Amino acid sequence: MAGAVTMNAARILSSVLPATFAIVAVVVANLPISLFGGLIPAPLLALMPIYFWVLVRPDLMPPAAVLGIGLLEDLFSGGPPGLWAAGFLAAYALTDRQRDSFAGLSGFGAILGFAAVMGMAAGIAYILASLAYLRPTPLAPLLLEVAVTIAIYPLAAVVIGWAHRRFVGPMRSD
Amino acid sequence: MGGGGWRLARGRGARSAQLPLVVCAVLAAVILLLGKAEASIFDRARAALSDWASPALEYVREPLSAIERWVDGIGGIFSVYDENVQLKRENAELRKWQNVALSLERRAERYGLLINAVPDGEIPSIVARVIGHSSRPFIKTMILNAGAEDGVKPGQAVVDDRGMIGRVYLTGERTAWVILLTDLNSRVPVSVEPKNTPAILAGDNTPMPALDSLPPNATITPGGRVLTSGDGGLLPPGLPIGVVVADDSGPHVALFADSNVADYVQVLDYVVPQSPPPEAAFEATLPGARLPNPGPETDTDETGQGETGQGEAGQDEADMGDGDTAANVARATQGGG
Repeated sequence: MAGAVTMNAARILSSVLPATFAIVAVVVANLPISLFGGLIPAPLLALMPIYFWVLVRPDLMPPAAVLGIGLLEDLFSGGPPGLWAAGFLAAYALTDRQRDSFAGLSGFGAILGFAAVMGMAAGIAYILASLAYLRPTPLAPLLLEVAVTIAIYPLAAVVIGWAHRRFVGPMRSD
Repeated sequence: MGGGGWRLARGRGARSAQLPLVVCAVLAAVILLLGKAEASIFDRARAALSDWASPALEYVREPLSAIERWVDGIGGIFSVYDENVQLKRENAELRKWQNVALSLERRAERYGLLINAVPDGEIPSIVARVIGHSSRPFIKTMILNAGAEDGVKPGQAVVDDRGMIGRVYLTGERTAWVILLTDLNSRVPVSVEPKNTPAILAGDNTPMPALDSLPPNATITPGGRVLTSGDGGLLPPGLPIGVVVADDSGPHVALFADSNVADYVQVLDYVVPQSPPPEAAFEATLPGARLPNPGPETDTDETGQGETGQGEAGQDEADMGDGDTAANVARATQGGG
């Protein structure tokens, strides 16, 4: 009996962990923290758990969850609603279609895979933002955010990977 | 990221996700269109979300602020000596300017007395803490821990001790959203010294917003101070904003205030001074004119003692000041500029 309860609790924890990670990432990315005097913009942290779990366990990161996380990002960041929701869904679509290619990547290749997905999300968000504001938005701040997000991804992947192993299950490499 | 790649999902192919993905993509498109057509729906949701999340934002902020200070401190170690030398030089320069400013202030006071000038009124303000900050490619906003309950209203100017940061554009019950001067959608009427040239300060998501809508043949000198003009009556005139910087793409403004490091800010509760209608003002100057209204309405209770509304208001304010509200809101006053 106790074992069944523990198993259910573990299953629930593993099923909510990816979305929880992404929600915390949205909140942390929008906190008033400015490292190095505000020269470095906040990374798009929420995309990291989305990319990771769509690749590793897509059943734990369904499109509806991605849409919700994107909407939360839009609401917290103050941008046009639906902007990053659409960007994250585009990232989901790319990752989902290229899962076999991306999942086989490791080391620097894995970072390039994330960079491709980040580029897709940023590109869609840029087009939609330009349409929403009825003029082209400056590209430089977006490129800087993309660069910072890609640079931080390896560190975030270690943390997310540890959480996955600890609460969800082993990786293929384990 | 691991050495051998990732473990793929069990029994879950890409095709099974096609339908929900399409549905979600359509939903995202609908939300985008709805956000343009009915922005108030999402504004209310945004305000409700920030109200609900404000305790968590404040709680999570503390440890991260410590990390921020620690990281900034590491960088500062290497430049302490140079900064100290530069600060000493600046301090000497500023002391000289302080003396000049004090003597000019006294002279302005004397001139004011000579011409019976009406002194600038004090602008009441609300002190609030920054609990959220979004410095994103498409939007520059911050969230304050004071909202409609504390008297914050959309359109009010937000300043720190150096200058203007932005304007309130959305209020929840306990939180308020501020659009920063650097935001793409920010437009603020300003005047540029020394000729008080009118212009519009237009945010472009870069750290230095542009000066737009300048009059034809206007000459803008780099280094000229930029202040709010007060045109439109929404913002108080004379709030310091920054200095003009020459740029290949036109004049830009280096802002005095740095929203990235702002911790506590003031929300100015500015109301355009109402001047009396010309006829009434003329009648008031005539001999034998009626005495002005004695002031707040006076109620007389059964004991015959008068109790003024002003006293109640004062008590209310005292109560508010005593209470240690979650918003840390305090009434303060700020000079007009």
